[in-house]
This record gives sequence, structure tokens and C-alpha cells, in this order.
Amino acid sequence: MNGDARGWRMALLPDSLINPSQAVGTALPDVLGVLEANGYGVVQLPPAGQHRLLLAVIADQIAEYSHHGYAVLAVGVRGEPGEGLHWRRLAPLLKHRAVALPPRHILRPDVDAALEAQRLSTRLASFDLPIEEQRRWRV
Amino acid sequence: MEAAVCRSGLSLGALSSPRKVALLANCLLNQNAKVCEGARYRGAVNPVVEALRSRSYLLVQLPCPELAFAGARRWWAVYEQYDTPAYRAHCRRLAQAIAPLIEGYLRHGDEVILIGLDGSPSTGVRFTSSQPNWGGRPNRPEDDWEIVPRPGVWIEELEAELARRGLPPVPATGWALDMGRFDEAGSRRDLEQFLDSREEPGVP
Repeated sequence: MNGDARGWRMALLPDSLINPSQAVGTALPDVLGVLEANGYGVVQLPPAGQHRLLLAVIADQIAEYSHHGYAVLAVGVRGEPGEGLHWRRLAPLLKHRAVALPPRHILRPDVDAALEAQRLSTRLASFDLPIEEQRRWRV
Repeated sequence: MEAAVCRSGLSLGALSSPRKVALLANCLLNQNAKVCEGARYRGAVNPVVEALRSRSYLLVQLPCPELAFAGARRWWAVYEQYDTPAYRAHCRRLAQAIAPLIEGYLRHGDEVILIGLDGSPSTGVRFTSSQPNWGGRPNRPEDDWEIVPRPGVWIEELEAELARRGLPPVPATGWALDMGRFDEAGSRRDLEQFLDSREEPGVP
């Protein structure tokens, strides 16, 4: 695509990683900063609670990306309900849309934030679709 | 809903301190949502994210109406092409999906603002793109559209849904990504001016 800068990769993120509370934020890396450095876009999940319709809307969008050459990685937080990813609700919505569940990378608040940032960055750098899928779509 | 909330207005007494909340056009956090050839960044639009985070705003990503309706490989379009009953119904469904979250913030007494995408047929706030005779084979010459001062279809439907819920209008501006010739420095100044004006005493 002429002059188009998109990175073709994105992270599905819990609200708590985008809007960390003071207590949690001190123990987790600056995930938005790590994603920016690696050229990833963000698909934000809602905070804990019932968001039936919103999760269906998000599943529609992930399906569209997954069917057209985009790489989607879910980044969760250990210790949060469903790791912050609403997985129990989201997984069947994605399966219903014939989407393979995105791989998950789980952050650990009990580990040094700098080390977790490095571990995430390493995962992001190496994560993508197989090269033949990239060639098929990214022209 | 909490006892501290009244239906007709905002919080009667917030349970915790009011927060600053920014509703963001979907593609401001994810440029992969843009129409083909429309992405200016790899992922998030970092100047917007930085301007908001440095001012302690919480970020709330709105759904992208075009992506789920016309797809990741959609053609470019102007306001008139999306101004259809089916697209408006789709936008209303998205608005009904995200409105409870927004309503929660507003009824808690939080300061909520909206950052759209000026020039977009869907997400424009101050400006949208217009060309009544677009249609058929997409072979129009470059810049063959006009920028007109009105919101895009999605923003119109989102604002209507919030109004239906008895909520006040949300102060809004747009990041001028889709205005034809993108000026990042000018857009950044414009956004920061809007945000800083919110900090002045007496601004609701």
C-alpha cells in the first residue's frame, strides 16, 4: 500500500494495562510504551464486568483482522480474573467467527517490571504471521 | 447502579475522586484500523497517547465502525456514502455497546472528553469529508473531495445515543489525520491547546 505505515501487528490488551491503577501500575511495565517501540497497535478490552455487546463488537473486529493478514497477540495479567482478557466470554465469540484464538502472553506483577518489559518486548519482536501469510496480504 | 447516581444528571456524590477520561477514535490506538493507504503510524498515534497520558487521562478506545461494516480492505469513502440506514443502524449498535461504559464514567462525575479523527466520514468531530457524486468504480482523482464542518456519521450516532440516555454532550475535538494533507505538528498544537483549555478555571 502506497505510503501506508501500518505495522500489521496488534495486541489485545486488558483495560488495566492501558489505565493502570497506582497500586498495580507500579508492578507492571509500561505496556503502551513497549508496544509503541515495537510498532504494535492496541485493541482495548473493557474493565472487569459484564460487557456482552461490547465484547461481541470487539470479536467482530478481531475476526476481520485475523481473516486479512494481521497478527494479533493477547497480553494478559496474572492474578486478574480471566487474566484481564474476558477469555471465558471472548473465546467462544471468536470461535463462532471461525477465528483461531490469539496466542497469549501473560505478565507477572510479582516479577521485576523491567524484566517483564524485556520479556514482552522479545515476544513482540519475534511474533508475526508465517511469511507466506504476510506475502499474501501485505502488498 | 450505585445509590450515589441520579438518572437525570450526573453524580450526586462520587464514591471516589473524579477522573479524567478520554474517549478515543479507534484508530488513534490502532492505525491498522485505517482504510488502505490511510495509516500514518505503525500502531498507536503516539503524540495523542503521550499528550493524554502526560495529563493523567484514562484512555477508552471506541469501536471502529468502518472496519466491522465494510471490512479491513474497504474502499475509501465520503460522508454521503456512509450516510445510509444500514450503516447508521450498525453505528447505533456500536454506540449501544460502548455507551454503558461512558455512562458509568459520566455518572461517577468524571470529566469525559472525546478525541475523534477530523476529516473522517465516520469519526470526524469538527470536520468530515464530503463529495455527493462519489460512487461506482473508485478511480477518482486525488483530493477530489471537500472538507465540510460537520461530524462524521459514527460521531453523530454516538452523540445521539448518549443524549438518549440523558447524558450531557461530551467536549470533543479531532486529530486532523484525514484532512487531506496531514500536519502532525499543527495537530499536536491543536490537541494540546484543547486539553490545556480544559485545565483553566471555570471550564466545565
